[in-house]
Amino acid sequence: MSATQGDVKSLQAQDAPDAPKSVKRAPPPETSQAIYTRFKVIAAFWAVIIFLGFPIWWKTTSIYRAHLPIQDMLEWANGKTCRPVFPLEIHLMTPTMQLPESQHLLRTTQHALDDLNEFAAHHLRLKLVNDSSALNVEQREKASGTDAEEADIALTVRVLSQDDLPAPRSYLHAETTQLDIFYPPNQAPIPSSSNPPLSVFIAQELQQLYWEEKATIAHVLSGETGNLDSISPQLAESISRRFRRSMKYADTYHLSFSLFTPGSAPSSWDIEAAVQEYLAPLLNEFASISNFTIDTQVQLYASFSPMAPSPVFEETEAAWTLQKEDLSAFINAAEWPLNPSIGSGPTLNFILYVPSPSQSPLVVKENHASSWIVPQWGGVFLLNPPLSSDSTNPSHLSKDSLRPAFMTFSHQLLTLLGTPTTPSSLPLRLQALVRVRAASLLLSASSTMGSLARLTESLPSIPIPATVASSVSDTLSHLSAACTHMKHGRFSAALANARIAEIEAERSFFEKSMVGQVYFPDEHKIAVYLPLLGPIGVPLIVGLMKELKRIVATLKARRANAA
Amino acid sequence: MKMLLRFLQAFGLLLLASMATAEHTSNWAVLVSTSRFWFNYRHLANVLSLYRTVKRLGIPDSQIILMLPDDMACNPRNAFPGTVYSNADRAVDLYGDNIEVDYRGYEVTVENFIRLLTDRLDEDVPRSKRLGSDAGSNVLVYMTGHGGDQFLKFQDAEEIGAWDLADAFGQMWEKKRYHELLFMIDTCQANTMYTHFYSPNIIATGSSELDQSSYSHHADNDVGVAVIDRWTYYVLEFLETQVTSATSKLNLGDLFDSYDESKIHSQPGVRWDLFPGGEQEGRLRTVVDFFGNVQNVEVEDANATDPGSLKEDLAEIARLVEKWQKRDAEYSAILNSSQINKDQHSVHLAARKTVGPTRMVDGGSWSKRLVGVSVIGLCSAVWVAGLYLGRSVKA
Repeated sequence: MSATQGDVKSLQAQDAPDAPKSVKRAPPPETSQAIYTRFKVIAAFWAVIIFLGFPIWWKTTSIYRAHLPIQDMLEWANGKTCRPVFPLEIHLMTPTMQLPESQHLLRTTQHALDDLNEFAAHHLRLKLVNDSSALNVEQREKASGTDAEEADIALTVRVLSQDDLPAPRSYLHAETTQLDIFYPPNQAPIPSSSNPPLSVFIAQELQQLYWEEKATIAHVLSGETGNLDSISPQLAESISRRFRRSMKYADTYHLSFSLFTPGSAPSSWDIEAAVQEYLAPLLNEFASISNFTIDTQVQLYASFSPMAPSPVFEETEAAWTLQKEDLSAFINAAEWPLNPSIGSGPTLNFILYVPSPSQSPLVVKENHASSWIVPQWGGVFLLNPPLSSDSTNPSHLSKDSLRPAFMTFSHQLLTLLGTPTTPSSLPLRLQALVRVRAASLLLSASSTMGSLARLTESLPSIPIPATVASSVSDTLSHLSAACTHMKHGRFSAALANARIAEIEAERSFFEKSMVGQVYFPDEHKIAVYLPLLGPIGVPLIVGLMKELKRIVATLKARRANAA
Repeated sequence: MKMLLRFLQAFGLLLLASMATAEHTSNWAVLVSTSRFWFNYRHLANVLSLYRTVKRLGIPDSQIILMLPDDMACNPRNAFPGTVYSNADRAVDLYGDNIEVDYRGYEVTVENFIRLLTDRLDEDVPRSKRLGSDAGSNVLVYMTGHGGDQFLKFQDAEEIGAWDLADAFGQMWEKKRYHELLFMIDTCQANTMYTHFYSPNIIATGSSELDQSSYSHHADNDVGVAVIDRWTYYVLEFLETQVTSATSKLNLGDLFDSYDESKIHSQPGVRWDLFPGGEQEGRLRTVVDFFGNVQNVEVEDANATDPGSLKEDLAEIARLVEKWQKRDAEYSAILNSSQINKDQHSVHLAARKTVGPTRMVDGGSWSKRLVGVSVIGLCSAVWVAGLYLGRSVKA
C-alpha cells in the first residue's frame, strides 16, 4: 500500500513542476477535453470491473448450496418423526362356533396375546372373519392385495373342533399362511370363563410363531447393542449371526452361477432349465423385496490356488476330504474369473465345483457336507456326478443332476438374503422378511438423511446441487408414506416406499458433484490471486485515486470560488 | 414359568454379551503410492510389499484397492524388466504374476482418492474400483509418497491436505463406511497428516514427526535406486517374521512397540485418542484385524434338522417349486383349452437382452452447423459494417 502511495506522489511531482528550480516552460495545461477523456477511460475500466468482472468472479467462485430441510432430516434420523410399529392383522375363522362364542374367543385370545407381548412396537391384531365363501386363503390374499386401504393379512387362523383329542393342537400349513387349531369339543370356550384354555393356547401358538421375527425387529430397531429382554441366548446369537452373514440390502442383486471343474468335462450344463425350474419360483417370491439379475459361466481347467491345501484321501470313507479350516482357501480368487463387476448391485456368487475323476467323490471332512456358505459372498456346492465306465466325468450335466445343487443354492440364497429361519412356512418367513427389510430400510434411509444434514452443516464449503434437494424431498415424502403404511399394517406398500426412499437417500448422499477439495489454506488463495490481481490492480487503483483526488480538488476550488 | 426361566437366562447372557466387543465382518485395504518417476521406485515398492502382505494374510483382491501412479516394472530404466523388488537380495518379486492394480498412472489423483473413500463415483465405475466397505468393515489405509507439514504430494501436480483427509474420513464415518480404521503413512513429516482427524474408531500411525524426514532403507546397486523406506521396512519385517499366519494373536501394541527409532532414524508416532477406550483398548486389536480377513465359512450340515437348516429349507423350496409347477400346469391347461399361447402366463424370468453394437448417430449435427454458420455470418457482418462506418466517418 505504501508503495502505491509513493507512486502517486512521484507522479504528482512530475505533474506539478517545481517552479523555482526549473526555468523551463511548464507544459501547456491539459485541455478539459483531455481530462474528460481520461475520466471516461478510467470510469469505463472500473465499470467493466464492477459490473462485469466482479459479478463473474462472484458467480464462478461461489458455491451453490441448495436449501435442505435440515431440521426435518435430523428429526427423521433421531426417530422423532416416525416410530416404526408393526400391527399384524390376523384373521380368525371359527366355522364350527356360534357367533357369540367366537366373539368371546376373539376377545379373550386378544387379551391373552396382549398380556404375553412385551415388545409394544410389534403386536398382533385379531379380526373375526367368518365368511364361509372366502375359505380359500390364497384367493382372499389376492383380493386384499389389490385393495390399497386394507391391511395385509399376516395369517389366517382356523379354529376347528375335532373329536377324540385330549388337548388342543395346531397345524401350520407350510405352503400357505394358514394355521389350523384343533380343539376337543369339550374345551369349547364358555362365554362365562374369563381365561379359557383354548384362548391361552392360541395366544401362545401365535406368540411362538412370531417370536423370532419380533426378536429380529427388536434387533434392527435397537441396533447392535440393546435387545429385547426375554430373547433366549441361542436365538439372540442366531439372529446376530444371521446379520453377520447376510448381504447388505440392495435393490438389485446380481446372481452369478459358475461351473468350475479341473478337467475338460463336464463342459455343458442345463443351466437355463435348472434356473427356470428350481430358482425362478423363489425369485418370484422375492420380487417384492429385491430384483435379481442372473449370469452363468462354465470354466474348465480351473485349478486350486497353489497355496490351498489339496484334498486328502480318507480310506475309511472312500472319499476325498477337505478340512473345514481350509475351505476359506478353496476358492482360487486370483485365477477364477469371479466377481464380474457388472451393473450396480452386489454380486452373489454360487459355485458348482465338479472335482476331477481322480479326486471324486470330494466332501468336507467333518460332517460329509458337500456345500458351504461364504458369508456375504456366496455359496459353494461340490457335485460328484457318477463317473462313466472309463472313469471320466460326464460331459453334460442334465437338469435333474443339477437339482440338488440348485436346491442348495436356493437355500443359500435364502440364508444370504437374511430370511428368518422360523416359522417353518416359507410364505410366513418371506412376510417376516418384508417387515424386517421395511424396518431396516426405513432406519437406514433416515440415518442417511441425518448424515447428509450433519455433513451439510459441518462442511460449509461443500456444494449442494439442486438434484440433492429434490432427492431429499423425495426421500422424506416416501419415508413418511412408508411410515403411514406401516402404521396401518400394509407392509408390502411400506417396503415399496422404503425402497424408493433408500435409493433416493443413497443418491443424495453419494451425489457425484458433492466432492472436491473442500479446504484451501489462505496461502493458496494468495498464491492464486496475487499474480493475476497485482499487475492489473496497481495501475487501476492508482488511476482511480488520482482521478478522485482531481475531482476533490476541483470541487474544493469551485467551493472556494463560490465563497 | 417357562417364560420366567427364559427371562433369567437371557438376562445373564445379555450381561455377558454386552461385555464382549463387537466384531467386524469384512476387511478392506486401500494402499496408495502417490509419487511418479523412476527415482521414487521405493514408494511403489513400499505399497507392493504391503499389498503382498495383506494378500498373504487373506484379504482378497476384490477387497484391496491398489493405487500405483507409475509402472516401475515396465520402466525402461529397470534392469530387471517386469519385476519390482523391495530388497537388494531380490528374493521376492513383488510384481509377480498376480497383482491387480485398481488405479494406475494419472488416475491416481487427490480427487479420485477422495471419491474412492466417500464413494462419490459415477454409476458406471466398476466395483473393483470402489471401496465397498460397510458398518462392519475394518479398513486399512496405507499411504506413501513425498509430503510436508500437513500435506502429501500427489504425482508432483497436486497435494492432499490433512484437512481434506480428515473430512473424507469424517464422511466415511457419517455414512457408516467403516467399523474401525487403521491409517498408516510413510512420508516426511508424516505424523502431521493425521493431526486433523476427528472421526472416532481411527488408529493412526506415521513414520516421522514434524520437521523430520523419513529415510529410505537401502539401495540396490543393480536397480540403481533405493528400494524401500525405513519405517515401512521395519513394519514389514515385523509383519513377515512375526505375523506368520492369518490366525496370529499378535496385536497392534506389539507392532507399535517394535518401532526402533535408532533403526528408523525418525520418530514414528501413534494416535490413539480417537479410538474408544484409547490406547489401552486399541493395543489389544490384533494385527490381523486390519491386515487379515475374516473368513468364517459355514459348512452346511445335511443332517441337521433345526429351523433354517439345509434340510428344512430344501423341503420348503421343493414345495414352492411344486406349487409353481402345479400353477404352471393349471395355467397351461386353461390356456390350451382357450387356444391362447401358453407361455404367456407361466413363470418365466425375463431373459436379458444382449446389447449389440449400435451406430453412433450424431443427431444435432445440422443444427449445430447452422448455429456455427450464423455466428460466423454475424461476426463478418459486424466487421463489414464497421469497415463501412469507419470509411464514411473519415470521409
